Amino acid sequence: MGNLELIVEKHSERIHHGLEVLPTLRHGLPAGLGNKRWTAELILATYEMALTGDLPKNGLEYKIGDSGGGFDVLGWKNNGFPKIDEDDVDLSISLNKREVGKKIEIPLPIYGGGMSFGSISLNFMLARARAAKKIGTYTSTGEGGYPDAIVPYRDHVITQVATGMFGVREETIQYAPIVEFKYAQGAKPGLGGHLLADKVTSEVAKMRESSMFTSLYSPFPFHSVYSVEDHKKHVDWIKTVNPRALVSVKVSTPTDVDMVAIGSYYAGANIIHIDGGYGGTGAAPEIAKKNIAMPIEYAIPKVHDYLMSEGVRDQIVLIASGGIRTADDIAKAIALGADGCVVATAEAVAVGCTHCGNCERGRGCQVGITTTDPELSRLIEPEWGETRIVNLFTAWSKRLRSILAGFGLESVRDLRGRKDLLVRYK
Amino acid sequence: MVLDSETKPSKYERFRIETEPAPHVFQIPNRFDVSARKVRLAAMLVHEAFEFKLNKEVVLSRPCIYGVFGGHFGGFKPLKHKCVGCMRCVQEYPHIMTVKQSDEYKRLGDSFWTPEAVFTILNEASTGKIPVKGMGYKGAFGGEGFDGIWTDMSEIVRPTRDGVYGREYISTCVDIGRKPTSVDFGRIDQSPSTVEVPVPIIFDDLPAFDFDVWNAVGKAARKVGTFFVTHDQTRGEDYRERMIPIVDDNSLDETLEKRPSIVEYDSERSDLFEKLSDSLPSSIVIARVPLREDTADRACKLAREGVHGLHLYADYHGQDYSGDPRHISESVKEVHQLLVKEGLRDQVTIIASGGITLAEHVPKAIICGADLVGIDTTVLVALQAEFLGETRDRNSYKLRPRKIDPAWGAQRLVNLFGVWHDQLIEILSAMGMRDVRRLRGDIGRSMMDAELREQSFKGIAWAT
Repeated sequence: MGNLELIVEKHSERIHHGLEVLPTLRHGLPAGLGNKRWTAELILATYEMALTGDLPKNGLEYKIGDSGGGFDVLGWKNNGFPKIDEDDVDLSISLNKREVGKKIEIPLPIYGGGMSFGSISLNFMLARARAAKKIGTYTSTGEGGYPDAIVPYRDHVITQVATGMFGVREETIQYAPIVEFKYAQGAKPGLGGHLLADKVTSEVAKMRESSMFTSLYSPFPFHSVYSVEDHKKHVDWIKTVNPRALVSVKVSTPTDVDMVAIGSYYAGANIIHIDGGYGGTGAAPEIAKKNIAMPIEYAIPKVHDYLMSEGVRDQIVLIASGGIRTADDIAKAIALGADGCVVATAEAVAVGCTHCGNCERGRGCQVGITTTDPELSRLIEPEWGETRIVNLFTAWSKRLRSILAGFGLESVRDLRGRKDLLVRYK
Repeated sequence: MVLDSETKPSKYERFRIETEPAPHVFQIPNRFDVSARKVRLAAMLVHEAFEFKLNKEVVLSRPCIYGVFGGHFGGFKPLKHKCVGCMRCVQEYPHIMTVKQSDEYKRLGDSFWTPEAVFTILNEASTGKIPVKGMGYKGAFGGEGFDGIWTDMSEIVRPTRDGVYGREYISTCVDIGRKPTSVDFGRIDQSPSTVEVPVPIIFDDLPAFDFDVWNAVGKAARKVGTFFVTHDQTRGEDYRERMIPIVDDNSLDETLEKRPSIVEYDSERSDLFEKLSDSLPSSIVIARVPLREDTADRACKLAREGVHGLHLYADYHGQDYSGDPRHISESVKEVHQLLVKEGLRDQVTIIASGGITLAEHVPKAIICGADLVGIDTTVLVALQAEFLGETRDRNSYKLRPRKIDPAWGAQRLVNLFGVWHDQLIEILSAMGMRDVRRLRGDIGRSMMDAELREQSFKGIAWAT
């Protein structure tokens, strides 16, 4: 074994050990870890759940952060003892509510959000794909193309078609059980995408059919779409190339997000995926993350209520993302009106992300998540990452079942729109 | 036939503020304080020496990719200034390493200026680059004042792709001055014309007078093409065309002699307005008005009297001077909306000052009804002034300027304007807006935390 291998092995082992030890609080709560949205406790609780597949038992806060608003000021009505057995709770949801098209169900109301090849390492991408396959849910390619290495998991991979059209090819659409149009993203609503030159390695450039070490911009918006009719043409295009595919439309959360949602419904989308302004994994201007578009907590009821009033709510799936950190966030999002959620940051935290935000600095992520650095990328072994993500979702399932059982709800579908089960804290 | 357009080079020049690095001259605190328990570190090295059979390269390979342990003494004397708080060293060696926010960093600023805000301004002034980070937003949810406002975006219906890197133009120009509602041929040569500034930001009068700072501001205003407000018009001939003097009895004669294109006066002094408008018919005369409960009525009165602009100001923390202080966003909105209701809004320019400390505050103040903003304490923060206490009061400021090179200072301020201009374009771009003037008072393109909370959480009971 050469020194490089030894060094990677040494640091991988140490990181894995640290992720195991830190949640025990044997060395205290790391002072510099976390922020208001992802507190130190929430990060450590996620490490713990990713390790054990169970909820933390040492008192670590795993339900809410400290942002002072949104999900963090919502709680559950006191419901006493569980009213039904947790094992009897069904967490599955359907991703196609229309009468036509393939019926797809996922066993949890969760699937993985788009993180593109180039912005994240191939190993992390593989870990996510493997985890999606094992759970029976989905992960999304993001807009960086479809590496050959994830083709074996194609039945669990959503192909994203975004404005840069990077890596969008006939076969990658034909692979996909679900095709996701990304009109906008919560991390940088209305601004398109930007992959910094340092990350455009030869593999990334080849995948995106571009030049090495040249910044890549995804324009905004789709220049072929300026109306619902144009949007329908897009949907029709995908359904022509792959008639079996469901179509998801990912949008951000502007003031008229409800109108966007109904437009997507009439264009033929199966899933309307709203991505709130506070979320996202991609590097983005700080001004965009904090200030543009509304947080997901406010957008969900707005869209849900409008779709209800239009009488189409039961024909389209509403998926929420952008700041979903915990099982409680998922349950609250559903109680506010979503059918399910997309998560991405939590998966990154499961494999060691500290939410430090230095994804674009220097060689990229220090634990091998958002990097194309050959040495750092190897810090995440796909099998290890898969286990961590599966464990996290397993722990979340337990929490979701516990919440539902407490209210006597046999299915997560029955939680949708049940704002009456929530309480607000000042 | 060769067309003229093919032979003559285009005169079109896209407005851009050229930035260049202007590194900090005075040491800024390390954001993170990294330290190692030395005995445990030594023991770990011995342990790893055995584990890796004295393979020096492996044993000494560090857990930091930013070079914190790259000094001669490795973890025994970490290079703290290189720490970015990624926490990998803590993840690998939790029993040895500690990383926390440094005490010096936490002491930055005051109750309004958070350490994050101070660092943001310092870095924008230093690099001229927009702050970019990954993995989502990390701060508090919504909040009061500007924090409780989100700007809109448009999914598909927008005219152009611009953004900072785009090809098409988004105008950030605004006009200062009174726009006549009709043409009066009898006064056509006497009415002051409006003055255009390429960015909706001017320098407000600074809380501390320091000649080098004053010079830096003048140079930056000239380079950017904006203006600076000052009590002192006795110096700086080089920057005279960029100067907006605040006129009082002592400086009236000098002002009348120098005939600046824009002047400001204390709105309580209606006599000064009369003298200025009579003696300087070509100058734009702006009333400085403290924001109070009655400012909206007062603004209407001033507009009817013929002032060309209102410079509305709150304290340095963005709170107005009402008995029960409100945030400047609220009070400017009130003034704007009453002027609109009274049919006076297009006759006066509104400049809003006080508490404009981050790039996002510019579009948000404009959404609330300002045409442009003035910055004050932000200028001193960019120039690495020292906080000596609470900076709220305009009369007893606690920001002490340091001795600076005006050229360095000017570049820092140009960088700040450049970065804020780019960020303004990002906000406008997301909305599909091609002209910042369209944003003025367009509340419909914003979302308010308080309103959305009540709409979206309607029906959710309060916890008991």
